[in-house]
Amino acid sequence: MIEERRILYEHLDVPDINTFDVFRQYDGYTRFEKAITEYQPDDIAKMVMDSGLKGRGGAGFSTGLKWSFVPRDIKPCYLCCNADESEPGTFSNRYVLEKNPHLLIEGILICCYAMGIETTYVYIRGEFTLGKQMLDAAIKEAYEQGYLGKDIRGTGLNIDIYSHPGAGAYICGEETGLIESLEGKRGQPRNKPPFPAVEGVFGKPTVVQNVETLCNLPFIVGNGVEWYTQMGPTYADTRSDPPTPDPNTGTKLYCISGDVNEPGVYELDLGLTCSELIEVAGGLRGEEVKAVIPGGSSAPILTHYELDTRLDFTSLTLAKSMLGSGGIIVMNETRNIVDCLLNIMKFYAHESCGQCTPCRWGTPWVRDIVQRIADGNGRKSTMTRPKFGVAENGRWGDTGETEDIYEDLDLLESVANNIANVDTMTWNTICVFGIAVSWPAVSYMRKFRPEFEAAIREGKLVTLPVAEATVPPEENYAYQQRFVPKEFADL
Amino acid sequence: MSDELIQIETPFAFNEENQREFNALIGRYPVKEAAMLPTLHLAQRQAGYITPAVMKYVAEQLEVSVMKVKDVVTFYPMFFEEPVGEYVIRICHTLPCALRDCKIVLDHLKAKLDTDVASETNLAKGTTADGKFTLMKVECLASCDVAPVIMVNDDLHKNLTPEKVDEIIDNL
Repeated sequence: MIEERRILYEHLDVPDINTFDVFRQYDGYTRFEKAITEYQPDDIAKMVMDSGLKGRGGAGFSTGLKWSFVPRDIKPCYLCCNADESEPGTFSNRYVLEKNPHLLIEGILICCYAMGIETTYVYIRGEFTLGKQMLDAAIKEAYEQGYLGKDIRGTGLNIDIYSHPGAGAYICGEETGLIESLEGKRGQPRNKPPFPAVEGVFGKPTVVQNVETLCNLPFIVGNGVEWYTQMGPTYADTRSDPPTPDPNTGTKLYCISGDVNEPGVYELDLGLTCSELIEVAGGLRGEEVKAVIPGGSSAPILTHYELDTRLDFTSLTLAKSMLGSGGIIVMNETRNIVDCLLNIMKFYAHESCGQCTPCRWGTPWVRDIVQRIADGNGRKSTMTRPKFGVAENGRWGDTGETEDIYEDLDLLESVANNIANVDTMTWNTICVFGIAVSWPAVSYMRKFRPEFEAAIREGKLVTLPVAEATVPPEENYAYQQRFVPKEFADL
Repeated sequence: MSDELIQIETPFAFNEENQREFNALIGRYPVKEAAMLPTLHLAQRQAGYITPAVMKYVAEQLEVSVMKVKDVVTFYPMFFEEPVGEYVIRICHTLPCALRDCKIVLDHLKAKLDTDVASETNLAKGTTADGKFTLMKVECLASCDVAPVIMVNDDLHKNLTPEKVDEIIDNL
């Protein structure tokens, strides 16, 4: 049985940890003091780079690398803390904001010191009323105690933090959408490049970091890089020769919901498997796992064949899914995948910002196709066609058999792939929202095709037993090759 | 939006407290326009919903065109352009809540309040006849571990059952 390793969440349940005095008793702000007395700003940036910390917001991009792109000679530079937690299945930032806001402030202070930043905006979800209240109160206290404002602790540092409420738009969690929204406009993402690190909010260099990423900083500074890199696996990136280390270090706040007995946030080292996490969360509620969404609703779904996939950035990318924001949603044998996809597609059709044509028209179209299938009006041709698959010679090709033509399933895949193509990983939209739509649409359909076909054939939703509903990986050309990364130390 | 339309509305101005808060807000950003979202939140809290007069006032305060304010108001689901009930009930219906039977809670709320669910373009559809409640479906409220959830104005209610919903509504 895997034990939780609480670092970010260690003092979360201490009464009144949201107040300065109590936070101070638990080493509060000592890591920041250590940073400003013992290290130069560049040392901190190097520590973050060496720690292998990857952004926890979704993309999993190396934080140290992101910081290295920021030009040091252009001032002012801004920090935007992304607290617009809207990805379905993710809820770890909410608890940090509501219960331990000083930890976030300390993380922000360390980031500001390392990057020479004087102004931080915390873009906080409009619905997080309590979180905003708590954060505002904590910011006020930090000002009173001299940890924010002018000439902090007599070091000459000037740092201001402001909270900025959003207003209910999912797309504002995308970093350039967040920046547009912060500037008082519609939250429509910008073309990249220029990346925010070079030209972000108000046309100035901007660091955009998730709450959880920033909360890691005090512990990296306080306990050192060596301590930090012990947690989580370091894989070998074999794309380069010789292989380079690909760190997945640190803990992750895994948010698990859906059909488990004890849903909640579990802080664990990166790299445990799906089935281990379900065990930690009190086991499955039901008989059998039908499907697991590993990283918020945008992530491609995993079937019961893939439960041994390790939940970290590299392993999930190689399994053609993603860790994303770490929101794991578990579904048991009673769930109908068509119905689940319909729910998710309604979400995306509602949240598309309307800027790019393929997404604006494509998302409602995909939703309508799935709705049609769920209503029992899915379209099927009376003709058949040659079936492609693993042929006699063991290679992909014409199998000599014929198959029925399910027009709506072909259409679904075609429309989704024209928003963003999941096979080539190219998208016809400005931001990655496009891929967040087509990933679930195509992966659900390919991996649980029998259930979609049954719904069209029978004219109603049919929930098949798990074994029948799932396409085995070897029969599914998109997923037949599963790559499992090797640990760097094993080479 | 013609001037005529704006004139038939009662003019809007911040009360003293909100004016103070607004002045503090403005100082946070290098450009005034950036205070748009917090200012609209303030205005909506005071006026109940964003009328054309509110948009005109906010535009004047932030030194932008009224159209720009309208542009923002129509983009974000948390800003209302029509009157809403005293209590706005937001029910989450995204996948994790759906897996925990939010539909039962929704149906119960609909029956109890005797109203339909509001759509973004028709809030009146989800508002009770006495104007006390507005029921609307929203996307994920980031509380999937305690699903199903509803938000009544600013308060989140967790792990709901029809009985708990009764208790919450009756205590309002």
